[in-house]
Amino acid sequence: MSTSGNIMKCDDYKQAIAADPSESFADGAEHVAACASCAEFKAEMIALDESIAKALSFDVPELRMPELPDLDGQDENVVNMPFKRKSRFTMPPWIGIAAGFALAAFLGVQFLATDITDITNSSDKDLLLAAQVLSHLDHEPNALLPTNTEVAEERLAQVVNDDVGTMDRGIGLVTYAMSCVINGRTIPHLVIQGEKGPITLLLMPDEMVSMPVPLVGESINGVILPVGNGSIAIIGERDERLDDIKKRVVNSVEWST
Amino acid sequence: MNNSLANVERKQRFNRVVSVLHKDLYRYATWLCRDPGIAEEVVQEALLRAWKSLDALRDDDAAKPWLLTIVRRENARYFERKRLETVDIDSLTPAQSAMLAETEDPNLTVMRQAIFRLQDDYREPLVLQVLMGHSTKEIAELMGINPGAVLTRLHRARIKLKDEVEKEDAK
Repeated sequence: MSTSGNIMKCDDYKQAIAADPSESFADGAEHVAACASCAEFKAEMIALDESIAKALSFDVPELRMPELPDLDGQDENVVNMPFKRKSRFTMPPWIGIAAGFALAAFLGVQFLATDITDITNSSDKDLLLAAQVLSHLDHEPNALLPTNTEVAEERLAQVVNDDVGTMDRGIGLVTYAMSCVINGRTIPHLVIQGEKGPITLLLMPDEMVSMPVPLVGESINGVILPVGNGSIAIIGERDERLDDIKKRVVNSVEWST
Repeated sequence: MNNSLANVERKQRFNRVVSVLHKDLYRYATWLCRDPGIAEEVVQEALLRAWKSLDALRDDDAAKPWLLTIVRRENARYFERKRLETVDIDSLTPAQSAMLAETEDPNLTVMRQAIFRLQDDYREPLVLQVLMGHSTKEIAELMGINPGAVLTRLHRARIKLKDEVEKEDAK
């Protein structure tokens, strides 16, 4: 903990400066000006980065351009790049967004259905919940900052309160806790740190799903698991292995109802 | 406009776009696959693909992320095609050895070896940030991961490099 009295803690500052020595994040300059230990760490990171930059910039040999074939009328090999094209249709933006999330959730079910016997059992209600979960992730990107700073017990008790249930700390290092609204109900939004990055947990004691609903996207790998009369959404990075985390989370949470 | 004139103009545009980025693309590919020899092949193939899909590049100012994406995909294709195993740092190819021996500065060699040893997941965002000057958001878009994960990987990459360098210094 910094003795400077600034809002940013030393651990957070060191995490952030090691990720971005240009210190483009908020409150960094203010913190480091008042904290000798962090100032020293920053200097170390800057020196390290100079070495990294030097090592990465090796001398490049003479490079040749490939022979470029004439392309008259030969467009069949064009690579499809992920550029946005203008739609031929117009619609209110919210319809597009809602449809996009619903489709993403549906595709998630389709593609990751290997451990699911019959995906047609996945109800519209499940897919709607999946869409809301995915939509919620975009609302709080700050939740996903890397940190080793654990959320205070009092804060966690406030968020995972008696109305929700109990959760033991075996769940892992909780670095974010917030009460959020999904489907009109206030639920705990937590973040724990996984192998590949932060993992979002949404504890939804009153949202039942009929079966596990996988959530996949270009950058995420997750699932909404049925747990008792409720469900828990677990969303990590695309290449995060969730098996152990799923067990840990399910074993750590007990609903109050 | 006749076809040959259109081709000439297309080639001029392509050369203009690529010439300023060619070296950076090669460096990026080298750090991606950890082999300067393979990197040259990957970049050549990527440029051919870029040439064929040049019309998809609406704005030349967006050429850098566009080309990096193509190089990235071509690198993945290359390794899929050849079914190559992960490069073992302890048995360097001649091209890798030459790259490490390029400098007489022992600190630089130690750092290059340490970067070679980094996991792909950690090395790539570091290269994109330090070498290519990309922001966290741009790296996230290019790699298809969220910005939080980019920051986590960058943090871990630097800590690993710091540890490796300190270990070497202590020897």
